[in-house]
Amino acid sequence: MSLSILSRMQSSCRSLLRTTCNPIISLRQQLFPSNCTTHLTIQSRGMASKKHKRVIKQAKGFRGRANRTFKAALQRLEKSWQYAYRDRKQKKRNFRKLWIERINAGVRQHGMSYSKFINGSMHSGCELNRKVLADMASNEPFSFKAVVDVVKMMNVRRMNNK
Amino acid sequence: MSFPGKAIQRTWHLIDASSQTVGRLATTVAPLLKGKHKPTYRPNGDCGDVVVIVNAEKVNFSGKKWKDKLYRWHTGYPGGLKQRTANEMLEKAPDRILRKAILGMLSRTNLRHKYIEPRLKIYEGAEHPHTAQLPEGVEPLKKHPRSRTGNYHFGLGGILGQDGTGFSYASPGVSQDGVRYK
Repeated sequence: MSLSILSRMQSSCRSLLRTTCNPIISLRQQLFPSNCTTHLTIQSRGMASKKHKRVIKQAKGFRGRANRTFKAALQRLEKSWQYAYRDRKQKKRNFRKLWIERINAGVRQHGMSYSKFINGSMHSGCELNRKVLADMASNEPFSFKAVVDVVKMMNVRRMNNK
Repeated sequence: MSFPGKAIQRTWHLIDASSQTVGRLATTVAPLLKGKHKPTYRPNGDCGDVVVIVNAEKVNFSGKKWKDKLYRWHTGYPGGLKQRTANEMLEKAPDRILRKAILGMLSRTNLRHKYIEPRLKIYEGAEHPHTAQLPEGVEPLKKHPRSRTGNYHFGLGGILGQDGTGFSYASPGVSQDGVRYK
């Protein structure tokens, strides 16, 4: 081939390849301009930001960067899930403890102690559980007094029968 | 469990500390301050009562504790361990004997310093400035004998404070008002 033909081929190839020589806009942006944003971002986030936003939304009310940043939020969330698992079991314990404290206070107003009251109520056929007894002791004092009196009477009878 | 009204009723209790044993008195005062004598007790809400103690310097220790019991504290500086016998504490700051005993029996929670501690008022001598707050005609709480049953007025009036059936569920040696007879 003559030199002129080669040069013409080179120039035509260069014109074809002019697009790749453009340093500012990427090839992808030139070939598929509708797929890309118009401003000059280097990276456009696809699926990652959706997952991150979902996590950060669960971390509302957390302290410091944990309510704003994905990495910190994920750590605190995992800890919160551990605490929730543990405390679902502890909640049952804590409430029973509170009921017992309230029953103790209510029963001591009537001159008895919790231990003796529970022992008596077991033997007197009273099937009320501690939750109900605590609720009665705090909200319905006269009904609670009735229960305590019944327990006392049954105890006297039990002591006399022995 | 939520309660219909959130109003906390605080009553004022008067205690005469003369010739009462320190620790045994403190065990009765600490639950009053914390509110554990109420069936509406809440650990997170401050529901205790106010306690006024008079004649704090006439309180009693059994045995040789006046001579032998040591109150110790460290000032933070090296070699700063200081101590004081109960006798010396009685001379220098008599109300601190009871205060230390009672506050040591309270749990270490966030509510303590701001809310519970100011409600304990200890005075030496029989005078106290709270006659306006205390209910009228109040008598000092009965001196607590060694038995565990005691009838306290919780500010509820006569309905629930006394046992209506006339029966006191306690060991046979104790009479109705809780005083133990041998």
